[in-house]
Amino acid sequence: MADDLVVVGGGITGQAAALAAAEAGARVTLIDWGRNAGSAANAGSLHVQMQSRFLRLNPHLAENVERSLPLYRAAVAEWARLDAALGGVEMSREGGLMLAETPAQMAFLETKAARERAQGLDVDLLDRGALDRIAPYLGPGLVGAELCRDEGKINPLVANARMTTRLEALRVRRVRDRIVSVTAEQAEGTDRYPARAVLVAAAWGSGALLPMLAMPTPPEPLHMNITEAGDYRIRHLVQHAERSITLKQFRSGQVVIGGGWPAEGGADGTPAVLSRSMAANVALAGRIAPGIAGLRVIRTWAGLNTPVDGKATIGPVAPGAALHVALPGDAGYTLGPIVGRAAAAVALGLEPPVDPAPYSPERWRQ
Amino acid sequence: MTRPVRFTFDGADIAAAPGASLAAALTAAGVRGFRETETGSERGIFCGMGVCQDCLVTVDGRPGRRACMTAAAEGLDVRRQPARPPLTPPPATTLTPVLRTPQVLVLGGGAGGLTAAIAAREAGAEVLLLDERTTTGGQYFKQASGSVPPLDAQQAEGARLVSAARAAGVEMLHGAEVWGAFPGPRILAADAAHVYDVAPRALIVATGAYERPLMIPGWTEPGVMTVGAAQTLWRSYRTLPGRRVAVFGNGPLSAQVALELARGGAEIAFLGEAAPDPLRRPGATFAMLRHDPRLAAKGAAMLAALARRGVRVAHGTRPTRIARQDATLTVSWEGPRGAAEAEVDAVCLSFGFHPQNEVLRLLAAQMRFDPRFEQLRPERDETCATTVPGVWAVGDCCGLGGAPAAAVEGRIAGRAAAGGGGPTAAERRALARHRGFQDALWRLYAATTQRIEDMAPDTLICRCEEVPRSALDASLDAGCEDIGAVKRATRIGMGRCQGRYCAPALAGYLARRAGADPVDAGYFAPRVPVKPVDIATLTAAEPLLAADADADAADG
Ligand SMILES: Cc1cc2nc3c(=O)[nH]c(=O)nc-3n(C[C@H](O)[C@H](O)[C@H](O)COP(=O)(O)OP(=O)(O)OC[C@H]3O[C@@H](n4cnc5c(N)ncnc54)[C@H](O)[C@@H]3O)c2cc1C
Ligand SMILES: Cc1cc2nc3c(=O)[nH]c(=O)nc-3n(C[C@H](O)[C@H](O)[C@H](O)COP(=O)(O)OP(=O)(O)OC[C@H]3O[C@@H](n4cnc5c(N)ncnc54)[C@H](O)[C@@H]3O)c2cc1C
Ligand code: FES
Repeated sequence: MADDLVVVGGGITGQAAALAAAEAGARVTLIDWGRNAGSAANAGSLHVQMQSRFLRLNPHLAENVERSLPLYRAAVAEWARLDAALGGVEMSREGGLMLAETPAQMAFLETKAARERAQGLDVDLLDRGALDRIAPYLGPGLVGAELCRDEGKINPLVANARMTTRLEALRVRRVRDRIVSVTAEQAEGTDRYPARAVLVAAAWGSGALLPMLAMPTPPEPLHMNITEAGDYRIRHLVQHAERSITLKQFRSGQVVIGGGWPAEGGADGTPAVLSRSMAANVALAGRIAPGIAGLRVIRTWAGLNTPVDGKATIGPVAPGAALHVALPGDAGYTLGPIVGRAAAAVALGLEPPVDPAPYSPERWRQ
Repeated sequence: MTRPVRFTFDGADIAAAPGASLAAALTAAGVRGFRETETGSERGIFCGMGVCQDCLVTVDGRPGRRACMTAAAEGLDVRRQPARPPLTPPPATTLTPVLRTPQVLVLGGGAGGLTAAIAAREAGAEVLLLDERTTTGGQYFKQASGSVPPLDAQQAEGARLVSAARAAGVEMLHGAEVWGAFPGPRILAADAAHVYDVAPRALIVATGAYERPLMIPGWTEPGVMTVGAAQTLWRSYRTLPGRRVAVFGNGPLSAQVALELARGGAEIAFLGEAAPDPLRRPGATFAMLRHDPRLAAKGAAMLAALARRGVRVAHGTRPTRIARQDATLTVSWEGPRGAAEAEVDAVCLSFGFHPQNEVLRLLAAQMRFDPRFEQLRPERDETCATTVPGVWAVGDCCGLGGAPAAAVEGRIAGRAAAGGGGPTAAERRALARHRGFQDALWRLYAATTQRIEDMAPDTLICRCEEVPRSALDASLDAGCEDIGAVKRATRIGMGRCQGRYCAPALAGYLARRAGADPVDAGYFAPRVPVKPVDIATLTAAEPLLAADADADAADG
């Protein structure tokens, strides 16, 4: 019997899509190859403000990111909904800081903040005094920061585990298989999975499955570090105006240090850690928050990010088609739930939680 | 008698013998609990060799110091460590970055590493040897700290080997812990004053083994430690783990340590051996005699000496549970004569060994599962070269072979790594004999390893993250299939020991559920750091490694 929806890709986006469909009463199969999911490697930052790293590396895509800002706010609201629905994912929304070490960096943040406010974000600029009052854990050498109150963090380990349990309870069928082709009627791997609608949420695996779209999905291998647990003090998600870093503390005390330092290798193997990323990333974190220097780094890992063009892709491959796409783009763990739910709603003909029009696959059509 | 060293523990004065580890000094002073866990339980020494990370204390404001690896020094302010140390910036430490390019780098200064270093040096190579311990000799030759005379012939032989290495011109850095291994090979290490980035032409890994634990409810209590930890306390620091001690194990180490402790003045309340009585298996005993009558006789003499002190080995006996009331441990066991229990102040537990093969796995050396010893072993050719060009492996990090075999392997690999010839006929014969002896020895001591399936639901499988068997099973019932998924779902293996105790048990459990033998991928993926590493160390390493990044950029 054909399913109502077959979802290819079992990361956060595919899981959220399957969850939304199952909650709407659909019969769902979720197929995953079990390889290099960004959702199993990510650090659980809930990004809202424009990431300086992305802006610096991809200036030509800045506009895409800017126009997606409302989606980021909706994404955090969606996580808050999931936090309640799944029974707690260690979510906190105490805001995100982007630090400046020079007046020039502060000026960059001022311009950025103005653009973000125009998109409805709750942002403020803090001088050093104001910064010290809310973030006494920061080290010397900073002149100020931008505070984005919408930002926060979750524990992805907890979130993924809770998500799995919930899908199980809703009787979503989960299959481990590598899909090699998809049509509007089925997905095919070692087995065939017939369906009334097919949704591709396979991150770096998506491009190859959808040759009708000129959609680049090369994986970006990224590096992460984690320390042993310390007293919970770093409540914000901390970034830097010019340097690659995200620094935060799980409520369980471990400090997670990342921010886009490169790893090595692609989807055909397990990406490997680079020694220089480890040293430079951690050294920078130690300078920003000197209190973490009493903790030791206990593990590093590398995972695959799929930034695409920095903007989400949601909807059918052609108008009216039953073959659909759900790709979150940059900060994909933040966006995964909202993008997955929106794409599932579109595929099942239900009301989506956000207007998917700006994120249509139209831009990739050959 | 040299003057004692004085330091404080939570403000109380402690006197230590010069050279003693903090762990030994605290044990001598009757302190058992060194730190607190997330759930509020206490922990102290467990492995005694820097692996378990349970002996953490805060020293002079710097948390995360392993008491077993840190020497007591005059005036130290040592404190019990809370589960989550405060984020107060510790006093600044500046390490000097050092780039080294020796012809041969040896990791580990035990029987295997020392011999390899000497052989490479004799073949004309410039040799650097790193070992994380401050005392020399590795696990078999375990040297005493300070300037006490050797305890016995074994220690004296070790002292001669260490002097020979020094005389041969091997550069030995003690207290230097390897924390990173990258393709090249490229080895990153640190001691108290330096961070080393070593790019050798040839690498010999001789990192030895650590003990396979016996996981039973209560195995994490302070006062419960591995047999080797008790041995190190006594052999290196002349400190007894307790006055009344129970020892449980598998293999000759537990009887040997029981005897050493008894000679040192401890009362051995019970000595349990998991393997059945060898008298019931004369074939295996004969085989051992045939391979090495001298070593076999040594074993028999050891048992006789124990018997003279009234200690008899209870065969086919395993501990089942340990409960603690203040400093008193009640240990229960089961054997052919039924169940019994005893009150003691230390319990020593172990069940054979696990190879310390993290560096080899990180360098992507091909590993093979050995179903008899239930461990991964590297594939090696007859010169002990691994499948990674320029990387050799010798001794117990390749699976337990014993010190004599490690020494022969070291000689062979050391010469080969320095560009010399292959093994001589005599070396081949010696190796065959030592390996034959080990084979016969472990036939005599054959006992099924402890399996998760047989453990009580409240047994902690992961000591660090305090994950009981019941939570593990719940994750499997919820559909977790591979070891990575189980880890993410339960936090098993995410703690400071980096899965050294739980991973082998878990890999076997998952493989048996799937009806197959474990493979390399059935263990946690190897990742740096090899051991938890200070942020100060990484900060000091940054310029060394950034120079590398510049070179990459220049290359194109
Ligand atoms: C190290 C790292 C840290 C990150 N940190 C953050 C962060 O803090 N915050 C944030 O918002 N984002 C972060 N990201 C990005 C984020 O993790 C990803 O963008 C997000 O998880 C993508 O989710 P997804 O479900 O779309 O895809 P993924 O989680 O990547 O899942 C894709 C799945 O598709 C499957 N698949 C692929 N091809 C096929 C096929 N042919 N057949 C069947 N299955 C297939 C794969 O097996 C995989 O499971 C980080 C990424 C990395 C790598
Ligand atoms: C706890 C214990 C007790 C033992 N007691 C006995 C005994 O009483 N009698 C007996 O016959 N056999 C005993 N054995 C077995 C015996 O020690 C070995 O067979 C023999 O020592 C093998 O020599 P090796 O060189 O391979 O390893 P080892 O002697 O173990 O030497 C390995 C060395 O590598 C170093 N090392 C490991 N990892 C790192 C790192 N990351 N960075 C820097 N240095 C590192 C260690 O500090 C160690 O000194 C014991 C083994 C253990 C683990
Ligand atoms: S006892 Fe110190 S690390 Fe295990």
